[in-house]
Amino acid sequence: MKKNLLSVFAVMVMILGLVLTASAEEGVTDTEIHIGQWGPQTGPAAPWGAVARGTDAYFKMINAEGGIHGRKLVHHYFDDAYNPAKTLAGVKQLQEDIGMFAYVSGVGTAPGLAVKDYLMERKIPWLGPSAGSRHWIQPPNKYLFNSYPLYLGDAQLLCKYGHETMGFKKFAIAYQNDDYGKQGLEGAQKQLDKYGLKLVEQIPVNVADTDMKPHIMKFKKAEAEAVLLFVGPGHVARLIGTGKAMKFNPQWFSTTTCGDHPLMMAITKGLYAGTISAAFGMMDPGAIGIGNKEDTNNPSLPLLAKYKKEAFDKFAAKEERWGMTFTAGIGYVEPFVEALKRVGRDLTREKVVAEMEKIKNFKGIMGNVSYAPFDPNDPLCRIGQQEVFLVRAEADGTSTILTDWFTTDFIPMEK
Amino acid sequence: MDMKRDYYEDVQFFTSGAITFWLSTLVIGLTLFPFVAKNYYVYVANYMAINVIVVIGLNLLVGYTGQISMGHAGFFAIGAYGTVALMTHAHFPFLLALPVAGLIAAGFGFLLGLPALRLEGPYLAIATLGFGITITQIIGKIKILGERQGLHAPELTIGPWHLNTDRDFYFLLIPITIFLAVLARNLVHTKVGRAFIAIRDADIAAETMGVNLTFYKTLAFAVSAFYAGVGGGLYAFVLRFIEPELFSLFMSVMFLTMAVVGGLGSMMGPIAGASLLALLDLQLRNILGIPYIGEWLEALSRNYFSITGVSNIQMIVFGSILIAIMLFEPLGIYGIWIRTKKYWKMWPY
Repeated sequence: MKKNLLSVFAVMVMILGLVLTASAEEGVTDTEIHIGQWGPQTGPAAPWGAVARGTDAYFKMINAEGGIHGRKLVHHYFDDAYNPAKTLAGVKQLQEDIGMFAYVSGVGTAPGLAVKDYLMERKIPWLGPSAGSRHWIQPPNKYLFNSYPLYLGDAQLLCKYGHETMGFKKFAIAYQNDDYGKQGLEGAQKQLDKYGLKLVEQIPVNVADTDMKPHIMKFKKAEAEAVLLFVGPGHVARLIGTGKAMKFNPQWFSTTTCGDHPLMMAITKGLYAGTISAAFGMMDPGAIGIGNKEDTNNPSLPLLAKYKKEAFDKFAAKEERWGMTFTAGIGYVEPFVEALKRVGRDLTREKVVAEMEKIKNFKGIMGNVSYAPFDPNDPLCRIGQQEVFLVRAEADGTSTILTDWFTTDFIPMEK
Repeated sequence: MDMKRDYYEDVQFFTSGAITFWLSTLVIGLTLFPFVAKNYYVYVANYMAINVIVVIGLNLLVGYTGQISMGHAGFFAIGAYGTVALMTHAHFPFLLALPVAGLIAAGFGFLLGLPALRLEGPYLAIATLGFGITITQIIGKIKILGERQGLHAPELTIGPWHLNTDRDFYFLLIPITIFLAVLARNLVHTKVGRAFIAIRDADIAAETMGVNLTFYKTLAFAVSAFYAGVGGGLYAFVLRFIEPELFSLFMSVMFLTMAVVGGLGSMMGPIAGASLLALLDLQLRNILGIPYIGEWLEALSRNYFSITGVSNIQMIVFGSILIAIMLFEPLGIYGIWIRTKKYWKMWPY
């Protein structure tokens, strides 16, 4: 009899267990929220690995403060070496072995596109991809929220400032032979059309190119007054260095990817001073004031200073560098954390999506982030941040704020 | 013993009862696998199978004909882009687009085979390497191939069959892999295969015996490129998105490494090499999950190599496995297999 009672009890517990697991959302337990992320830690894109480590330190900080509505954020990030086959493998394994509630950030366009369908088909939210690609919002997906401002915008504001404030008429561009560079080209052309101007020279740069003399020769021949650099940090250093050696000193303009001024000053051995770059956060023109200087190593923004003290100092490895890449890992996921807070204790994916859609003019350490209810024909409902501002690199490694936030236009990709 | 008395015995597929038994077990195992394994492992199996296809083809070139290619990622890219472009722009069905893209890759293989007539060893390696690098640059310039922005693979349907899960794709991929493996095995046993081997062992002697070097060397490149092309076409549907930078020099080096580690000039070798290295490539990430050893490795890496811990140790373990296999058994995994087989045949003597 006793044995029978025991087995009935055991069966009831099992049924209860099944009911509980069936009703709970995947990746969420009473005490934990499981969140996945990929990013290169080895291979050619390894410098971008700091994004995932930034997110990790940020989540640890949140957990140290008590988590979100009594749940800790469990961060699962893995190295995909920027190889999409590995990204897909890692995401599938995380999803099928543990089950993630959502994915955040994730470096690179190709790795992201490899997993996009897998995540979207399963209605798993993916928030703040770490690459400024139009693929994230064109077409928009209900569960995919972009936050990185597109490079199109950088080019628009750089040309606007170059022409309207500095009076340049002859713009040229060196652009990387990929989506990033192409966005620069399109953004610049669109803005210059408004003034009836044309790019005097546009030169593609391949990732493998090392000799920049032919590029500089062409810019010189076209008598360019301002040159937009839509290339990686290494090529920026080479172009400015070669320009200097060939006595070609235009106004150099660069993008958010080269906005880490202390780093850029180090790799160009000081030649970066005077270069104007676009910025998407980590400073705030409103708070610091236009014309004022900011040292990104000692941030004056209270929120950023808090992250440095509470996340970076406490949870980052001691060899870690505090810079744009690390802090971007925090900035991309702030809206998601905000949505988790707003949802409350009863957490589901649908509720997170609903709260994300309600986010309007959210301000963390980046610019204003806004989303709108899902509309399959409106990329802007998932674009997130559309504003950037300009800063000038100074010889002492600081940055001078040149403009206020500027809302840029979205230019759709050609089909 | 292994003595063969006539040609039919040489080309016979089921050479003994044991072979029949094990091959049937393998086929049954492969059929049941996706029903018992988690979806993730089916994905891993698909990734392994694609590498197996490419490396079988590469082995025909490197192991049987004695040529070298450091540019197979180029053929792989042609196959991937060819299949996707033929399906989206020319509306070819998948089962037609795949072999046609393979043939396009074979055409490029034939062209690359021409300089191979005059080049050998390291010189040929550099020429093929140049090809591998160039082809992705060219693809990046072509508008209908998506330039640098890449291409999305279309929905995969074969007649009424919609292949949208890893398991569906597995049942398409494994028969193709087996078919191509059997084809390669049979090719080696024909006149063509014997000509390849003759060229590898002594090309001048082969020519004096009447082997047409121009024809067979370019044919070896074309056949090998066909395999890589078919592998590439399938790969495009595993990732569902391709861009030029995927097909890097590192990928070519990986293919060659798989062929060498598996054991050149055998049929089992490339299958074993490609399976093992593809598996390690995806799975070494998990070494940190092994109790005790994982924690120890992570601490070691964190203290001496990098702040990320995990990743570098993964590459170090990968490198060490390659060194160990080459050091202890230059014939690769196939060599280890031969030795084991011999040991048990002679046992207990």
